[in-house]
Amino acid sequence: MTLTAVATKPVITAWSAVSPFGIGKDAFVSGVLAGTDTSSALDAEEWSGGPDGHACLVPGFALREVLGKKGTRSMDRVTGLAVTAVRDLLRDSGDLRTASDEETALVLGTTTGSAQSMMDFTRASMEGDRPFYVDPSLMPNAVMNCAAGQCAIWHSLKGPNTTIAGGRAAGLSALSYATGLLGSGRARTVLCGAAEEFSTARAWLDHHRRGADSGALLGEGCAMFMLESGSFATEESRGLAEVAAVESRVFFDDLRDALGGCIDAVLERGEISREDVFAVSTSPLTGTLGEQEHAVLTDRFGAELLGRAPAMSSIGDTTAASAAFQIGSLLSLAERGDVPAGGVALVSSVDDNGVVSCAALRFPVR
Amino acid sequence: MSVNISDAMPDDAETRVVLTGFGVFSSIGVGADEFAKGLRAGRSGAKPITLFDTEGFAHANGCEITGSEPERWIHNLPVDTLGRATTFSVAAARMAVEESGVDLEDLRAKRGMISIGTTDGESYDLDNLVETEIASGPAAMDPTTARRVSPNRLSIAAAQELGLSNVEAVTIATACSAGNYAIGQGFDAIRSGEVDYALCGGADAMCRKTFTGFYRLGTIAPDVCRPFDVDRKGILTGEGAGVLMLESLASARARGAKIYAEVLGYGMNCDAYHQVAPNQDSVARCMEIALENAGVKTEEVDLISAHGTGTKANDVTESRAIHDVYGDGPPRTVSLKSMLGHTMGAASALATIACSLSLHHGFIPPTINHRETDPECEIDCVPNESVEADLRVVQNNGLAFGGNNAIVILGKYAEGAL
Repeated sequence: MTLTAVATKPVITAWSAVSPFGIGKDAFVSGVLAGTDTSSALDAEEWSGGPDGHACLVPGFALREVLGKKGTRSMDRVTGLAVTAVRDLLRDSGDLRTASDEETALVLGTTTGSAQSMMDFTRASMEGDRPFYVDPSLMPNAVMNCAAGQCAIWHSLKGPNTTIAGGRAAGLSALSYATGLLGSGRARTVLCGAAEEFSTARAWLDHHRRGADSGALLGEGCAMFMLESGSFATEESRGLAEVAAVESRVFFDDLRDALGGCIDAVLERGEISREDVFAVSTSPLTGTLGEQEHAVLTDRFGAELLGRAPAMSSIGDTTAASAAFQIGSLLSLAERGDVPAGGVALVSSVDDNGVVSCAALRFPVR
Repeated sequence: MSVNISDAMPDDAETRVVLTGFGVFSSIGVGADEFAKGLRAGRSGAKPITLFDTEGFAHANGCEITGSEPERWIHNLPVDTLGRATTFSVAAARMAVEESGVDLEDLRAKRGMISIGTTDGESYDLDNLVETEIASGPAAMDPTTARRVSPNRLSIAAAQELGLSNVEAVTIATACSAGNYAIGQGFDAIRSGEVDYALCGGADAMCRKTFTGFYRLGTIAPDVCRPFDVDRKGILTGEGAGVLMLESLASARARGAKIYAEVLGYGMNCDAYHQVAPNQDSVARCMEIALENAGVKTEEVDLISAHGTGTKANDVTESRAIHDVYGDGPPRTVSLKSMLGHTMGAASALATIACSLSLHHGFIPPTINHRETDPECEIDCVPNESVEADLRVVQNNGLAFGGNNAIVILGKYAEGAL
């Protein structure tokens, strides 16, 4: 494989979703366009001891039923979600992928892998008769790159394999990283997305993080996108959407200036005129930062454009997976034929630790 | 497309990437100068672990950082908002900026990247939260601790501390090769013109979770880490941070910066084979990808800094992979983990700094604690004593759980060698 720099933009050629709307892209498309409420009471036996009795879970996600019994005995939930989403992506894209396994990269966004796996491992050490009475087969789960590594093993992906711990902005951070891999020629195809699991450990961490701001119910899932270098100008028939630009900034207390700068940069780098923007998807963040984000975007694009992007509140706070699901929601509009030719949709994502990120998707002219 | 010491032209200065400042927290020295002295002297960071309770373990040495006061480099953020790994990361980032001699106001006017690799993020805090939960229930967890456990803070807090807003802040969580991943990301971003500078590296804090895991796998050495030794018994867990200032050669020249070394290229691949066992063919392939990207032939490489964990499996697999690529006479191959322990996500970043210091100062750091080389490894690991050497090209291996391999190739930078 010779690495050759490529000047074209990444193009999304296929995608998959494992979401609170169900397993599979079709369930996501119909669910997100209908705004179906996905919250449910947690099964008291499976999810005992959490701070909240409700969440937006992937329905029917019993890991060993979805993926089979082989190789799943020690697999944790976030890994299962990612392996399933990559499986569906490769299955549904058929022979779209021309890159070899060595030329195919995987980039996965996460918050912290599985907080449950990490904390359970320590708990076993602290509560056991001896401090080293832990199950060694669970150790890889307690490291954040477990899901990405397992996706590679399950699906024989031998190119660069990267885990980005990006919190709520993970989906766009992964997209930016994937863009770099394609641009530098380090991969010909990148499977890129983000995953988050629901767990009692995550629920407690989130509960203490939020304090008085109760926020949304927690959600979970994984969305994955197949990216290749291309250009709509030369390859009109190929691709669902072009990633025209991805930008991010760090903010301190107030995100407004940073988000404004981020939007300017995306429009400039993506060579996007304001009139071409037909929809703006906002992060489902609540509280002061969510209000600031909403205010900036409304000021720049108007409430009507914000309203054209499907609302994401019905799947809860999917944290690391949130921006990936926002992209999925815009691709869902396209599946229904509901995007203007050559139109541009923006995705805004905010992580309350201090990152704003913005991506522009350009839809085909045809 | 490759950039080579010998054939580089002056107008490549925009796309050649050089290293101009280092922030170092390690168990053998804080700061680039002290770290270089430690490497040359073959210092050992090994000592009994005090950071967490080790009662019940038959042995518990580690390479802990004590008395380094990273808070002294943190001026703007309240230190109680930073976990131990983030504290190392933020302090090392400021140290790298200061050491590079660049004016912070100038950096704020530019587009930058901060990319920090990690294995465990703030697992040390997570361990403490579990301890609270066991003692008093989950409702009693400390909110301040809960608010700082997200590993994206390793890069974001560094940007906030330095007042850098126009940066892409990335935390790469590809376990024990994450530092090299981060350096590679910065390298590509500067070469493409995406950013003007990049602060890249890795950071990790020791934690009970990871110590216990390696202990249970039988891979914690009872006394010290002896890479490539016939009697090697495993790793010692370590901690620290290494952050590097990357910029184009043109940028470094324009401000008259000291240049430690040049990043010639790097390579990444994935074994797609086993969660914890390295795969010889894939590791060899990663070296080939890195060398090809750097435009370097095997005979031009003077030194390999091995991943060299000191476990039975790693060292034999890695040395065989080196033989696969280099044939019967591979260059001298050292393991810094003999001195630093396994600093996880910081390991390959600290090793890249060590390689750069070796190129700059003209020496090869030793593999300490060495008694007898394992005949199955068949490499010259420069036992126990550093040697003087005029190095030109150095390869730094980073391997990880998940089969995440990342290898960086560095070259000596000599003004006028164009």
